[in-house]
Amino acid sequence: MPRPVEKLVSLTINGNEVQAPAGMMLADAALKYGDVEIPVFCYDAKIGPPVGACRMCLVEVEGIPKMQAGCSVAVTDGMVVHTDTPTVKAAQQAVLEFILINHPLDCPVCDKGGECPLQDNAFGWGGGLSRFIEPKRHFEKPLALSPLIAIDRERCILCYRCVRFSQEVSEDDQLVLEERGADTFVTTFDGHPYVAPFSGNITEMCPVGALTSRPYRFRARPWDIEQAGSVCTLCPAQCNVSFSVRDERVLRVLARDHEGVDDGWLCDKGRFAYQAIHVDARITEPMMRDGGELRPVTWDLAIETAAKLLSHAGANTGALVGGETTNEEGVLLTHLMRQTLGSNDLDSRPGGALDLELLRALSSPTLQASVPDLQHAHAVLVLDCEPVDDAPILDLRLRKGVRHHGVKLFIASGRPSALDERAAHSARFAPGCGEAFAAALGAELAGQPSAARAAAAGAEADDVVALAAQLREAGEEVVILWGERLTGGPRRNEGARALLNLAAQLELDGRDGGGLLEIPSGTNSRGLREVGVLPNASIGLSDALAVGRDSQQIGEALAAGDLSAVILLHSDPLLDQPSSALWQQALGKASAVIAHAAFLTPAVLEHANVVFPAESYAEKEGTVVHPDSRVQRLRRSISRQGETRAEWALLAELAARIGNDPKALTGSMVSARIFEQVPFYAGLSLDLLGGVGIRWSEREAAASFPSAPAAPFTLDAPPAAASPNGLLRLGSFRSIWASPEVEASPALSFLHPRQRVEISPADAERLGINHGENVTVASNGDSVTGLAQIRASAPDGTVFLQTSIPGESAALLEGPLVEVKRS
Amino acid sequence: MAWDPDKDVIEVIRGPQKAGGAGGLYRAFGETLRGLKTTFGQLRMGVDTIQYPEEKIPVYPRFRGRHQLHRFEDSGLEKCVGCSLCAAACPSDCIRVVAAENTPENRVSAGERYAAVYEINLSRCIFCGYCEIACPFDAITMGHEYELSDANRSDLIFTKEMLLAEPLERTPLRAEGE
Ligand code: SF4
Ligand code: SF4
Ligand code: SF4
Ligand code: SF4
Ligand code: FES
Repeated sequence: MPRPVEKLVSLTINGNEVQAPAGMMLADAALKYGDVEIPVFCYDAKIGPPVGACRMCLVEVEGIPKMQAGCSVAVTDGMVVHTDTPTVKAAQQAVLEFILINHPLDCPVCDKGGECPLQDNAFGWGGGLSRFIEPKRHFEKPLALSPLIAIDRERCILCYRCVRFSQEVSEDDQLVLEERGADTFVTTFDGHPYVAPFSGNITEMCPVGALTSRPYRFRARPWDIEQAGSVCTLCPAQCNVSFSVRDERVLRVLARDHEGVDDGWLCDKGRFAYQAIHVDARITEPMMRDGGELRPVTWDLAIETAAKLLSHAGANTGALVGGETTNEEGVLLTHLMRQTLGSNDLDSRPGGALDLELLRALSSPTLQASVPDLQHAHAVLVLDCEPVDDAPILDLRLRKGVRHHGVKLFIASGRPSALDERAAHSARFAPGCGEAFAAALGAELAGQPSAARAAAAGAEADDVVALAAQLREAGEEVVILWGERLTGGPRRNEGARALLNLAAQLELDGRDGGGLLEIPSGTNSRGLREVGVLPNASIGLSDALAVGRDSQQIGEALAAGDLSAVILLHSDPLLDQPSSALWQQALGKASAVIAHAAFLTPAVLEHANVVFPAESYAEKEGTVVHPDSRVQRLRRSISRQGETRAEWALLAELAARIGNDPKALTGSMVSARIFEQVPFYAGLSLDLLGGVGIRWSEREAAASFPSAPAAPFTLDAPPAAASPNGLLRLGSFRSIWASPEVEASPALSFLHPRQRVEISPADAERLGINHGENVTVASNGDSVTGLAQIRASAPDGTVFLQTSIPGESAALLEGPLVEVKRS
Repeated sequence: MAWDPDKDVIEVIRGPQKAGGAGGLYRAFGETLRGLKTTFGQLRMGVDTIQYPEEKIPVYPRFRGRHQLHRFEDSGLEKCVGCSLCAAACPSDCIRVVAAENTPENRVSAGERYAAVYEINLSRCIFCGYCEIACPFDAITMGHEYELSDANRSDLIFTKEMLLAEPLERTPLRAEGE
């Protein structure tokens, strides 16, 4: 549903005339437009509609004999409200006295103490005395609600916030209130731990200390810490976060509530993986390989050696750049590669380069949808991605759109999606056949026959027809949320064309409230492309002077001996690239592997000659670009741990030692250079970005975005999806928990995924596989073992395995067909 | 108001223009003797010097000297639960508390949490006693010890163990009516 048009009404609050949008709840309107605070406990606009559970917000409205709950009354024209009469005061004091009847008041040992809404409200609005002298209720405390969350049921004031979060925001439906009256308590419906991708949010939502974070338990008081705002770079969603810092250590991560990015939520990875900043496993000093083993060395020696290795390799150097790289580091790397070593072989996209013209068309500002569009569009098509794994916070946004704004959600993916049950229509295709499916859908929308393409995609022809019809019907504001996977395989250019055709059929170009939104594979993929960390583009997506090798070709060239050195900037090809076998061989052949890494991931551990410690995201300065074109600023929140140094400075130093000083004296100098050199960033500055960032596609400078060819393109017929024939099609996915940070965080290590083999019940029965037993998946002599996971929604004839986990990754296998056996 | 010149006229009293003579003699010795009268007059008051450090000034019961942390007498558990309220109240920001969780194997305080680190930087403390007032468990009180000089600033950072220990010597208390 499109954004509602705001209609202003005027009302009187405590004698002052106030204008507020019609339909807004009184408590919000009073605070925002009338500068009057109505105390609340259970209400928070971001959880959803009010439930009126706590009665803290009672106010008098003229013409209504009884007091009204300010959180559940919408403002209307001519309303006259009083929030400071003796009646209201008496009611507030009575409610607080009532709420405190069963509250243990153990503030000194409670983690919420000092930042507790109950303390604040009691202090600000309470009477200070209680007439209650009877014993309070008692529960065993504290219990572990999950490995991440402690629950103290005595402190709960039964505001329903956590339960509503679980049922209406994250929709995992796990939390419930059990029993009645004073015996009521919060628990999971089945008594199992509350494990869900967004569970940590309830610790921030709970207005008392009933739900607290276990990793943060007793670590600090609000006056011991400083809040430092930055951006989470653990996935492309780039949520705005605030680090709680004490003694130069990050102790906690809180949401910084940005409507345009995260809507005030964080996923558990973003909330708890900060622990990886302060673990021993992190690399905090430079290392060099000596006698087959990595040993710590001095900075001087490491830089000297790296410079020597690189100048020796010269133009025979390749570079892979991972998604956590900032724009500044990206630009300095291109300086090191292109201008200093004379090599164009650098890439930030896994799997291979996309035609530059198509890349421009896909990133075009007129075709760009924003994150809030997901919640207000008529329809959203999720194409070949799984939001909860690829950019978790968008999953919540989609759920909000469906629940509160009537968005029609359509899903087209290979793997069953967590959002399927909220979708108006879900279609499945064979893994890796997103291109064929998009082409089929595009053809159907254009009124052409689509059955052949649907068959090639391994999808039901009826599905495509039904999806197209419903998409047409839903309305004109359509957002296509697509995964980089669609443009990542061997037929990536065709995938891009099919997607652009689809957008053209839906007339998304220039459409307000609709468009394309990509979920790239790396956090800052968009920024890195825009500053020219691509083999075929230079800064500002302009044509490269000479086209170099893409990531796939770098691997092949290394294996063939055409390239001799490789720089791995926050990238581990054994985890990130589609084929492990190729990269094992490539790295084995390379004479110099220079890595910038925070953890000893497989490629670093086995192959790196020189390892530079990478800064964590809390230590970094720089800019990153959100997939919806929002340029955001990372700010340094803690001092660099151990001997870690600024990476932009290191890249500049390397170039200088090789003989081409980029003359970068400060990080902000490099940022300023980027804003100058990228035409469509013109006029931006770090100060302008501030704490919330700016979407460049909304600014005037976006007009200087390089022009791109217009759809429709003619598509060639896609190859048919492999037919299983007794074997199974191999599909892969990257779990939200598959990252070295999750593995290194003690609190999250219970979530770090082991390989699971997802198959359908029918296939499991045919192969005689039981849920939870060890199975082997093999192809061409390579095999991977994992635990069988029988998933009712899994499509028959397909098996899904995870990538990006060390050891048994799906990248070890070569598809499209694999054999699955009990092991 | 009109200016009245009389008010601002200062009369300067000068000595005699000519030195010497009886007046000069008096000015030299008379005034000195007058001062000595006061001096010798005090002789009968007796000696009031306190032989510190052999002897110490007794303090009032509410004297705010060096802090002490307390334990429960029966269980021996620390009263401090590491709530940091003293640190919040401290105007000179000289208390540092790092809390940790009690476990059945390692029970330090009576509550869920205890102070794993409790330090007061006495070189910054202004002995205001706010910490004592803030403490919800009477775990910290201002003691009577005032001998707090040291040769090294960092030795004035008192740790939890030092604050829990009884002072080596007790400062004498002033008796009733003294
Ligand atoms: S646990 Fe917290 S959020 Fe949940 S109902 Fe109780 S007080 Fe509210
Ligand atoms: S969704 Fe992504 S960006 Fe947001 S908190 Fe989670 S990992 Fe960080
Ligand atoms: S006496 Fe005052 S200054 Fe000294 S530690 Fe206590 S609160 Fe701080
Ligand atoms: S001394 Fe008292 S106020 Fe200070 S941390 Fe301990 S219990 Fe809290
Ligand atoms: S905030 Fe209005 S009833 Fe709870």
